[in-house]
Amino acid sequence: MDPLILVALVIALALFFDFTNGFHDTANAMATPIATGAIKPKTAVALAAVLNLVGAFLSTEVAKTISGGLIREGDGGVQIGPELILAGLIGAIVWNLVTWLLGLPSSSSHALFGGLIGAAIVGAGFGVIDGGVLVSKILIPAILAPLTAGVVSYLATKIAYAVTRKRERDGFKKGQIFTASLVSLAHGTNDAQKTMGVITLALIAAGFQGVGSGPEFWVIAACAVAIAAGTYSGGWRIIRTMGRGITEVEPAQGFAAEAATTATILASTHLGFALSTTQVASGSVIGTGIGRKGASVRWRTAGRIALGWLITIPAAGLVGAAAALLVSLGTGGIVGAVVFAVLAITGIFLWSRRSHVDHRNLHQPEPGVFVRPKKRKARR
Amino acid sequence: MIDWMAFLTVFVSALVSACIAVALFSLGLRLGDGEATWRRPVSVSMFVLCGAVVLFGIYLIVGDHLLTLFTR
Repeated sequence: MDPLILVALVIALALFFDFTNGFHDTANAMATPIATGAIKPKTAVALAAVLNLVGAFLSTEVAKTISGGLIREGDGGVQIGPELILAGLIGAIVWNLVTWLLGLPSSSSHALFGGLIGAAIVGAGFGVIDGGVLVSKILIPAILAPLTAGVVSYLATKIAYAVTRKRERDGFKKGQIFTASLVSLAHGTNDAQKTMGVITLALIAAGFQGVGSGPEFWVIAACAVAIAAGTYSGGWRIIRTMGRGITEVEPAQGFAAEAATTATILASTHLGFALSTTQVASGSVIGTGIGRKGASVRWRTAGRIALGWLITIPAAGLVGAAAALLVSLGTGGIVGAVVFAVLAITGIFLWSRRSHVDHRNLHQPEPGVFVRPKKRKARR
Repeated sequence: MIDWMAFLTVFVSALVSACIAVALFSLGLRLGDGEATWRRPVSVSMFVLCGAVVLFGIYLIVGDHLLTLFTR
């Protein structure tokens, strides 16, 4: 196949993955402010979209390897060409859409890594996977991220409820807007650059860009617009799960959970121990559910989410591997893989229409509903 | 394989910063609710301190990038 057409297909799929990444992760920042009525759903996703757009332009650090070190790339390892990147992206997109359909907040980065791992195994065998990196960067952080955020969120919730009285807690809604905005900005700086890295490496692999060069401006702009458009489109199913499915969130809890999410993400980004934003945000919501007296956590939903985290890499890997098998057949196979991707995307979209969820399905409490003061009995 | 010291640093930093931010905001709300004249300025200063923590968070996210832009 003409390298130009192949790279164009990779870029199109990478941007679509970026779009799915955007709507998949809107919930991380905006689920709790929407659930407490701190901000209207459409305003929340618009704010998140703008901050993701700004964040994507601010980020200058582009992934040096497309798989985050999970696949032994480069000299002495597997050479991941545009064909394998294409197959990996198909795996990531299909799994991201399946988890969206199920309303599961799973990590988009893990879906991307899983898709690429599956494609690389078909392309070069199991020896290409660095097991040590898989355990230290994926499996153990997947346990530590929700635990850390959960403990931080639990204590923050206890503090919020110990210090304030019931009638004062509506004020936390204003604070939620700021903490949620910080999560959105951090998300834009982190996640858009992964797609920039994938497109840049595909351009380098195909010989359209010099080795060692950074992303072109048009790549940065396209990725920023794609993730912002995805964020604006919602991802209402996951917002519903995060905001209402795990536990009923009050404004004080929402503020505590968002503060815990922000603090954990910023600390992990800047102190060299990367944790998944999605897993941190989910852990915070669970922690705040345990932290409020009288609240309950729906452990069945939390268990489904944890199961989703566990199977994200193998499931995306299986789809990526199937796509890599097709791609290895040559031009016909590449066309077949792309047709499979389009059919899968269309099928999942049509299936989602059977139980349509959008911002109108999200029940928002009326102002003051959580903090209505008790009526005092009139003295006789 | 796992840098446990880095993880412990992340855990303690996240715990301390989140609890400080929540405590400051909560105190701001609590102190703003009352008749005494001293409460309002103290409440405002709690919100300002909480705002400073948020600004530090923004600095952590975009500070390096802005420094790169301005020192080019």
